[in-house]
Amino acid sequence: MLNTDELLRVEDLKKHFPIKGGITGKKTVQHVKAVDGISFDVKRGETFGIVGESGCGKSTAGRAILRMIEPTDGHIYFEGKDLVGLNKTEMRKMRKDIQIIFQDPFASLNPRMRVFDIVEEPLINFGVKDAKERRRRVEEVADQVGLTLAQLKRLPHEFSGGQRQRIGIARALISKPKLIIADEPVSALDVSIQSQVLNLMKDLQKEFGLTYIFISHDLSVVKHFCDRIGVMYLGKMVEITGKEKLYDRPLHPYSQALLSALPSSHPLQKKERIILTGDVPSPVHPPSGCSFHTRCPARMEVCSTIEPLLLEAESDHRVSCLLYQETETRTG
Amino acid sequence: MDIKLLEVVNLKVGVNQDNKEIPIVNGISFHLNKGETLGIVGESGCGKSMTSLALMGLLPPGVDWQSGDIILEDMHFKNFKNKDWRSVRGKKISMIFQEPMSSLNPVYTVADQIMEIVLNHENVSKRQARVRALEMLKLVGIPRPEQVLDEYPHQLSGGMRQRIMIAIALACNPEILIADEPTTALDVTIQAQILELMKEIQEKLHMSIVLITHDLGVVAEMCDRVMVMYAGEIVEKAKVVDLFDSPKHPYTQGLLESLPDINKQMEYLSSIPGIVPAPGNMPIGCKFSPRCPFVHDRCSVNPPLFDTPEGTKVKCWLYEEASVKKEAVL
Repeated sequence: MLNTDELLRVEDLKKHFPIKGGITGKKTVQHVKAVDGISFDVKRGETFGIVGESGCGKSTAGRAILRMIEPTDGHIYFEGKDLVGLNKTEMRKMRKDIQIIFQDPFASLNPRMRVFDIVEEPLINFGVKDAKERRRRVEEVADQVGLTLAQLKRLPHEFSGGQRQRIGIARALISKPKLIIADEPVSALDVSIQSQVLNLMKDLQKEFGLTYIFISHDLSVVKHFCDRIGVMYLGKMVEITGKEKLYDRPLHPYSQALLSALPSSHPLQKKERIILTGDVPSPVHPPSGCSFHTRCPARMEVCSTIEPLLLEAESDHRVSCLLYQETETRTG
Repeated sequence: MDIKLLEVVNLKVGVNQDNKEIPIVNGISFHLNKGETLGIVGESGCGKSMTSLALMGLLPPGVDWQSGDIILEDMHFKNFKNKDWRSVRGKKISMIFQEPMSSLNPVYTVADQIMEIVLNHENVSKRQARVRALEMLKLVGIPRPEQVLDEYPHQLSGGMRQRIMIAIALACNPEILIADEPTTALDVTIQAQILELMKEIQEKLHMSIVLITHDLGVVAEMCDRVMVMYAGEIVEKAKVVDLFDSPKHPYTQGLLESLPDINKQMEYLSSIPGIVPAPGNMPIGCKFSPRCPFVHDRCSVNPPLFDTPEGTKVKCWLYEEASVKKEAVL
């Protein structure tokens, strides 16, 4: 069953955050269904992109994979081993292989630690006892991400956003992980710096055979950087496919609207635009049936009652939309 | 025919540190025509937001108007007192900000906030002001406007809040709308809605828009003319089509090339090496020279804005010859 080139398989992953209420404030009255049953797999050496708008659950999904937030339900198979159910010590060891880069390079570095200590800390955590060896590794990784030895002695506030992101990358890289989850790694950066960081990440991927899960809201960055892409809406994956297919011929009406909403890259290029009406519904009370039906320009009558499944519409192209699915067999 | 509405002359804004003037906006000049959309693009710290705050007389404490003037009709903003500013803000020039949640007052209803500006500027009764508020909500496309009037900002989504901000800004029918990163905090599908709305309203009310953004896609979508700012200076002024077809300044070129293009696939993005210099620690001569691939001896002197034959203005020595030739032909 285990496919050798499959590094990670996520099955029906759910994260429901409880909302406390009632007189004592301790009773769980409702749930925010931030991630509501997503499944996908990531192959060794590829970059898997997760796109979606704010509140769609993409960051929660990324964190749930690392179990930084405990998933409510589902399975996460990393190299065939289910991460859900591992105890704390075992999970901690696994994090040597799975690392994360955060969005905000200002908030994700301890302002009172020197860069050297920030980058070194994972090695201490993962039990590299020899201080000389640690120093050698830190200096090596600093060189790989383009930090000088002098810079290692400084504090985070002395760096610009792009350089801080390099520190974050160095910290993720030092334990020699197989998978790096990059949660909006360039969203806080200016475009000229953004491309520096993206190029660095690509270089590192080639050199170390890294696998990335790249979480972003920026469709053009995702197109540039990823091999396969999953589109999320309201806690669900609505479409998963290779990037060529997604950008040339998106099938899900939400993906179509999302892509058409992208500003054009030239003033004379006028785009046929699908403007969605309204806002994303609350994940506390997602709409019945297909969760997109309240805003969907192609909605049918059945959409409000039957929930579509993420099924293959063509080879390597899975979409969760009733336009592409036989519904007769599934009523009831 | 272009009618000049607003003119900025050699505006210099900055902080005073140890009796030294450290400019944030360093002597920029431009004008705004009636009915046009002028884009100001640049990266963080280039002075684009300071420029817009100077236009509204809203410079933060510690930041001074060092020299230069802004002229609207027969008014010279240089000499303005607080009272004069109040008569201009909201009436002649309005502004919308990046973060609609923090620019709305959380303890007042939507109606209160729109009525406030109408009551300030016009001699109308409260009832009339409320009618105007309702009209404005309809204009900016708020669903169920009668109810929303009595709601508070926290009850609305990000896109709706930005619509409310636009409603407040336009309540007194200003001639100029300054939009400082109006869609940066919004999702793409909501961004598309808001940009569409701004275009629609501009057509209806014939106003001019100054659009400040870091997003070149938004510029391509909205603007007629663009100015590119770098380190407190304007490095290029062009018609929007010219800017995208033949960017002149090495910085503009680098900026456009470092954007991932959705229509092309390439292995690596080109990037501009180095980082933006900090105010107070500016390189001598051309501010972009330490990062510029075409840097040469002349760059130790800060270049003026040269005219190119296409009509673009560019602050770079590489275009000195082209501009001299043009003068010779004339």
